[in-house]
Amino acid sequence: MQPLPPRWLDKLATRICAPHLREELLGDLQERYALRYQKFGQQKAKLFYLKEVAALLRPSVIKRKSPEYPSIPFLSFEMIRNYFKIGSRVLLKNKGYSFIHLTGLSIGLWACMMVATVVIDSLSYDRKWSHANDVYRIISMNKAGAGLQERISSSPQLLAPELVKIYPEAVASSELSTTTRHFKFKKEDFNGVATQVLRADTSAWRIIDLKVLAGNPRDFVPGTNNLLISKSFADRFFPGQDPIGKIIQDIPKYGTKANDYQITGLIADLPYNSHLRADVVLLHINKPEPYEANGFITFSQNYIRMKPGTDMQAFTAKVNKWHQKFSKRTDEHGFEFQPMPDIYLHSDFAESQNVRGDARTIYIFSGIALLLLFIACVNFVNLSTAKAFARLKEAGVRRILSGSRSQLIIQLLTETLLLFGTAAIVATFLYFFSLKSVEQFLGHRLIETFTSNVPMAVDALAVVLLTALLTGLYPAWLISGFKPSNTLRGIFTSSASFRQNWLRKGLVVVQFSVSIVVLLATIVVWKQLNLMENKDLGYNTNNLLAIDNVSWDGKGDAFKGELLQIPGVVRASATLWVPTQGGGYMQREIEDPANSKQRIKVWYIAGDVDLPETMGLKLVKGRMFSHQFSTDALNADSLQKVSFEKFEQAQILQSSLLTASAAKALGVSKLDERIKNANTVPVGIIENFNNESLYEPIKPTIILAQRSPQYAGMLVRTQPGMEQRVSASIEKLWKQFYPAKLLEINNIEELLDKQYEAETRLHQLFMFFSGLTMFLSVLGIFGLVVQAAEQRSKEVGIRKVLGASVTGIVTMLSGDFVKLVVIAIVIASPLAWFGLDKWLQNYPYRTDIRWWMYVATGSTVLIITMLTVSFQAIRAALVDPVKSLRNE
Amino acid sequence: MRRSDLGEFEEIVLLAVAALAPGAYSVSIAEELENETGQTISTGAVHAALQRLEQKGYLSSYLGEATQERGGRRKRLFTVTAYGGKILHDARSVRNSLWNRITPAELSKMGLDFSNS
Repeated sequence: MQPLPPRWLDKLATRICAPHLREELLGDLQERYALRYQKFGQQKAKLFYLKEVAALLRPSVIKRKSPEYPSIPFLSFEMIRNYFKIGSRVLLKNKGYSFIHLTGLSIGLWACMMVATVVIDSLSYDRKWSHANDVYRIISMNKAGAGLQERISSSPQLLAPELVKIYPEAVASSELSTTTRHFKFKKEDFNGVATQVLRADTSAWRIIDLKVLAGNPRDFVPGTNNLLISKSFADRFFPGQDPIGKIIQDIPKYGTKANDYQITGLIADLPYNSHLRADVVLLHINKPEPYEANGFITFSQNYIRMKPGTDMQAFTAKVNKWHQKFSKRTDEHGFEFQPMPDIYLHSDFAESQNVRGDARTIYIFSGIALLLLFIACVNFVNLSTAKAFARLKEAGVRRILSGSRSQLIIQLLTETLLLFGTAAIVATFLYFFSLKSVEQFLGHRLIETFTSNVPMAVDALAVVLLTALLTGLYPAWLISGFKPSNTLRGIFTSSASFRQNWLRKGLVVVQFSVSIVVLLATIVVWKQLNLMENKDLGYNTNNLLAIDNVSWDGKGDAFKGELLQIPGVVRASATLWVPTQGGGYMQREIEDPANSKQRIKVWYIAGDVDLPETMGLKLVKGRMFSHQFSTDALNADSLQKVSFEKFEQAQILQSSLLTASAAKALGVSKLDERIKNANTVPVGIIENFNNESLYEPIKPTIILAQRSPQYAGMLVRTQPGMEQRVSASIEKLWKQFYPAKLLEINNIEELLDKQYEAETRLHQLFMFFSGLTMFLSVLGIFGLVVQAAEQRSKEVGIRKVLGASVTGIVTMLSGDFVKLVVIAIVIASPLAWFGLDKWLQNYPYRTDIRWWMYVATGSTVLIITMLTVSFQAIRAALVDPVKSLRNE
Repeated sequence: MRRSDLGEFEEIVLLAVAALAPGAYSVSIAEELENETGQTISTGAVHAALQRLEQKGYLSSYLGEATQERGGRRKRLFTVTAYGGKILHDARSVRNSLWNRITPAELSKMGLDFSNS
């Protein structure tokens, strides 16, 4: 046996050595190895060989021979033009493929652009203020109950000015909040124009940017409401006039008379992408008062501006420490500082903030958009590699005619680029025309869009180019990598085709897994939504109308009396609480009778005596409120007017209804007996009901009654189907009673549904996206089957000639793909379960993930796949074998 | 007397080609030189020298037959060209003339006086 040098060294030597020297030099090395082997033995010969290889690292050995004919530099203008020309010809020739590619990529890019717009727009909120990075909203925290932490977006009104006084790093503070007012421009106007109002104090100038266009709004006019109107508001209601100094009126909810507002200034429009979105600014003055930490404190939304570069963590700690000392309270209460740019997306706790986004949804959808683009790219890679064989001959000819590999790669990349470019153009058109409907769907405008913002468009273009490059590289590398001599003779190294086959299958599995996960998510979100909308809340939500809180001005009882005369009205009740409306009348922490160290939270709901029956609450034990007992209802308003103590005393003996959970928590077993902790005498126990949305678990609740409350809403139970007629009659009645007062009537069912808007939107988007992912995946698999059928057309022909049945051939062609989809189902199911289960953990009332959902998704996907695949497979199987075999 | 383009190692390799003709190729030359000098000489070094000499026109080469111990690869066989022979001869005559000019006294000083022994 001839002794052979180590293989790896041999390979290394081959690498080092220039091709034209390889034969002689490597021969020499091997010969000397053999000689040394005989002389010194294997060990030494190897060592020598190693040295020899190392010694090859010299210029004369490494230097490659320059080619005989210098090739044209492949990035010259001529060549680039050539790439594009040939690329477009290839794409036009294979219309079917180009179309599949184009559809997939356009949809993928469009979805990405759309979602990216929504994400970028959401992230742009409150970033443009000149002090955006130094302004913070003060948030109050309350660590009440067992491990519960409550955060509210408001804080004691006088706290912020106090902080500015104490701490030099706090520069300025202001009180800012948004509300809706109804302004009217004519005396007889009844409904007015609902206008977004930013309530601000006079130090707002130091926190946010208000650009004055006309007037002197900084000089506060005492004795009237100072209103700054925005440019667009002025253009709409005072076209061609000077609005400064004009007085407009609103339609109040509480007062009897319309309030006057003097327009003291014209300002530039406030940015739309801000949580302080508003049409006009209502200025007020804060009276300088010392801050007190205890007693009755007015809460408001406060903003504080810090010196640039302040360490907020240290500041927060400092403030909380100071406040604990100042208020002599334990660390239950505290403050946080929320950076201005975070307010829009990260305020799920702030229910009163009506302009807010949801960070979680943003994350979910950016993920899905990326997956969509990924699926589109996978389609591209799959189809291109499948198509690779068809292009190998071309590649071979090009290489043999001294085209370099890099040249070939660039040619193929150019084609990719052309496709992506066209897709990008199509996607941009789609995007442009769908913007309006997306805005409608979202319910707000999009400020930063790709078609309006040039830098964003440039960035998008760069991303498209990069994606094209990344996607095109693998197929180009693959096609150009085959040896030209082999491709021309039709020999493919089996390992390469095996590898790319494997890759393609893997990608198909990934693709379908994604589609299945999204499809499952759609079903689960739908079930959850269904559950929330249809759950029995413990009271009758149908045929229930609610008049929004107003001041009744002593005419409440009279109005109710008239209201009950309206045909179709069954019952009515003045109420201080409307279903869906937060915590209700008030919340109290009461000592736990079972464990005196613990405190339990109890919610209070108040209305008049008719409230429980108007709502349709169900009695378990005892009795409902009744007009017969004078202790049932408290005359709260007049008592409060006399003195607060008297009111509290009266409350001690007031009758109340407990929900079953409240009775359990308070340990109530006997009725008509005073509960010391809760200061009330329960007369009945009712079934549990959900007084808030289903995002919250059932809460222990106590219902109190008052006699004709002054500030309250009204619940009206109508006969089924009479809601419309009744609300029209109420409007008429209202005009008689309160000609200048605003009336808002809501249908409780609609209010309840509105709470689940986020879920409804999530569901609609999921439906849309699952349709898209499914479509793209199926498109991809369709292309692959077309390719497979084409490649195997001769095989199919021969099989047919030899007597194979059509069914047999269809099974043969589609079997592989069906297998892949089954694998995808197996992979996706646990993944989906994991993710969805996590999502459902957010809800106290959650639907469960059932086996039938898997079956439904699985079989849907399988059926769609089989239909797609067999459609093409049957076509292939029905082709006359004479045709497919003729050109041999 | 242009000797500057013939390095010492090149000269030895050139001489070895002349000495080993017609079977002069890098392996035989390297082995021969290893035997003569007692130092290990790498094939690459010899090959590089041969390439240079050929470029300068002192050597000519052709591909020989393949043998089994080379793994079926052919070897490149070298012969000295007439020009190469002349250069070798020049080099030798320079050395000879210098040797001849050394006086016997100097030779004995160097311990190289062989005439008396």
